[in-house]
Amino acid sequence: MPKRLFSVGLLTLGLTFVPGTAQAQSGTLKLPLINDPIMNPVIAPDLGSVLINKVIFPGLVRPNEDLLPEPDLAKSWTITNGGLVYTFTLRNDVKWHDGKPFTAADVVFTFKAATDPKSGSRLVSDFSSIKDVVAVNPTTVRFTLSRPFAPFLTLLGHNAGILPKHLLDGKPLNDATAFNRSTPIGTGPFKVTRVVPGASITLEANKDYYGTKPKLSGMVFKVVPDINAQVAQLRSGELDWVNVEPNNLAGLQNDPNITLKQANAVQHFLVFFNQKNPLFAPAKVREAMQYAVNRKAIIDGVLKGYADYPTGTLPTALKKYYDKSIKPIQFDPARARALLAQAGWKANAKGQLVNAKGEPFKFTLIVDRGNPSREQAALAVQQDLKKIGMDVTLQPLEFATLVRDYLLPGKYDANLIWWTTPPDPDQYSYYATGQDNNSAFFSNPKADELLKRGRETADVAQRQKIYNEFQRLEMTNPPVLVLYYPKELQAIRKNLSGLPDLGIRDALRHSEEFQLK
Amino acid sequence: MTLSYLLRRVFHALIVLVMVGIITFFVVRLAPGGPSLLADPKLSVVERQAIEERLGLSDPLPVQFAKWAGQTARGNLGSSFLYGAPTVQIIMTRLPNTLILAGTSLLLTLAVALPLGLASGLRPGSAFDRITSTVSLVFVAVPVFWFGLLLIILFAVTWRVLPAGGMNTAGQEGNLPDLLRHLILPAVVLSAASIAEILRYTRSSTRTVSTQDYVRTARAKGVGQWALRYRHILRNAAIPILTAVGLQLPRLIGGAAITETIFGWPGMGRLSVEAALGRDYPLIMGITLFVALAVVTFNLLIDLLYPWLDPRVRAEA
Repeated sequence: MPKRLFSVGLLTLGLTFVPGTAQAQSGTLKLPLINDPIMNPVIAPDLGSVLINKVIFPGLVRPNEDLLPEPDLAKSWTITNGGLVYTFTLRNDVKWHDGKPFTAADVVFTFKAATDPKSGSRLVSDFSSIKDVVAVNPTTVRFTLSRPFAPFLTLLGHNAGILPKHLLDGKPLNDATAFNRSTPIGTGPFKVTRVVPGASITLEANKDYYGTKPKLSGMVFKVVPDINAQVAQLRSGELDWVNVEPNNLAGLQNDPNITLKQANAVQHFLVFFNQKNPLFAPAKVREAMQYAVNRKAIIDGVLKGYADYPTGTLPTALKKYYDKSIKPIQFDPARARALLAQAGWKANAKGQLVNAKGEPFKFTLIVDRGNPSREQAALAVQQDLKKIGMDVTLQPLEFATLVRDYLLPGKYDANLIWWTTPPDPDQYSYYATGQDNNSAFFSNPKADELLKRGRETADVAQRQKIYNEFQRLEMTNPPVLVLYYPKELQAIRKNLSGLPDLGIRDALRHSEEFQLK
Repeated sequence: MTLSYLLRRVFHALIVLVMVGIITFFVVRLAPGGPSLLADPKLSVVERQAIEERLGLSDPLPVQFAKWAGQTARGNLGSSFLYGAPTVQIIMTRLPNTLILAGTSLLLTLAVALPLGLASGLRPGSAFDRITSTVSLVFVAVPVFWFGLLLIILFAVTWRVLPAGGMNTAGQEGNLPDLLRHLILPAVVLSAASIAEILRYTRSSTRTVSTQDYVRTARAKGVGQWALRYRHILRNAAIPILTAVGLQLPRLIGGAAITETIFGWPGMGRLSVEAALGRDYPLIMGITLFVALAVVTFNLLIDLLYPWLDPRVRAEA
């Protein structure tokens, strides 16, 4: 008997070493998440949740490869009353994953919930322009806005997936309901079949999907919290697509099974200078700092070239609105010193930058701890500013601490951070006077006027002019020091195709096109 | 051993738990930062206030403490901020996974460390002893995340004989061979440091005992090698080893954070990392109390085992 037990043990051990059960799942795309997601687009707080929700819950529109809205659950739309009324005609062939028909009532329910802060909605700010939303008939929805708001369509295609009224009406959206955690019901090309807490979410192709029939048989979102482990799983074939940081490239560049792809990200990485601090109030000082920081060295050294050189706060990814004719500010420490001298700051005998009273130009730069690219970029900024005589202390902080204890109360001198924005040039809430996200406390009447006009103007050609003018204004009166526009660095198994030329967030809106050979 | 001794120990254990609860509550709440649900700088003031109210963070701290203490006394550890579900329920979904990993690691630790430690202790200064001592020193010093990634690169990426992470291949949940394949690397990483520690304890304890007079007497009386080693030496060397093993258990259950994170193992260790990074106060409190309970329980059990192993302790108790 013991011999038999021993043999069974050996057999089991032998089986454990049989490689490649992962290969049995061809046609199943495997993607990483860093934690268990909340599968409800209205309340989802984190990027992982946002990603999986893009697959399960389509919106009325979705971004195409030019980041412009194209029809999704809505077939068409009209904009009337000077940009105040948006009327959408919905598809009539859409079913929820539980078989119930999708109607205008679902859209009305979703936006009532999204604009109610008590619901726990994360979309309140995005849709604060909505005055009213009504179902004209089962396939027509009419939104009335309180003010003309040009980014409205873009935002509809960004995070606003539509929820099923028949399952959620009258229920608290925020609780740990089965809907949010294990059995979400959407209308997307894939539907959830199994959730293993802390481990994985399995989706299968939705046979009733209204659009192109999905080419994959399914998708698995695996919870892999560590980025190095994600890279290892990509190389071993247990994941198919991982977004990586430049410092992960070493192990991937020589792997014959992996393709590296750059995608445009609608992001800008920047240093805020707290303009309530008299040091940073003069535009000349902020302009000087633009010349003092060697941004090309950061892009080439820290980001291995996976970023664009910046001109202002509008990233190059916004192709339609970005003015290429504006010449970027070059690294020129001598010019920085000259501008600072005009602002009353000159180097003393020790090379320290001091004002007429002999006070040094001294401040602390904070950065979130744990991300090598950002920490190295912050170090480079500190060193460059030191070279022109500024006394800069670098303080890395855990992100939640940085936001809650420093950023929100405005208790900081300078802060290296980033903004990820919807694919629209509207930056009113970031750079207009007194707005919630204007953490630099930038205030300029001309910028306020341009940003207000920009969000109220629907005509693309006119918007281009407005934002080009804003971009030019930022060259001499920079609200912040933009360091770079990063590229999203995607590491993809070579057998995966059909990915649109978009960042992962927007690409997942087209998951029915993905294909594994 | 008397009943009053046992009751006294249980009472002490309860006091420890209460102290752990109070200290952890204030340390966690007074630490900088706040729940990650509030860490999005893009949130408007109204949205932020709505979230704080929903999480019960708008009350003054003493009020929050009173509420927490009241509900904890009734056995309700509150709802996790991140998961929106009762803390106890979340811990219970992760606990079995950790027990599988911790149990396997403990077995592996004992199976490797005890015989090697004993053999080293019986032949101090031999080549075998020198090799095991050096290797165990290396494993005590090696960072867990580095060792884990090294094994992943070797076994999952280069040779492709074992999976790189997770507890099961998706869709294969409940498949024992699949679970075992996923278990090997994290169990080896988690036990590496424990093996080294227990091996060194066993070695020094064996060495101390084997030089005692009664061992020499037994050897002189012609007691056989087997009986001498296992009945006389190992049994007497076992008490400090048992203490060391007892100290490993809470570490295996609560402290496997790095191993579980690297291998994507959905257990308590990773949950504690998520809770700490997300400043999920109820979950942090729940996990801390749970691990504290495990520590006092193991200590109590070990104290109860001492008299069984050593009659001298029995007389004192």
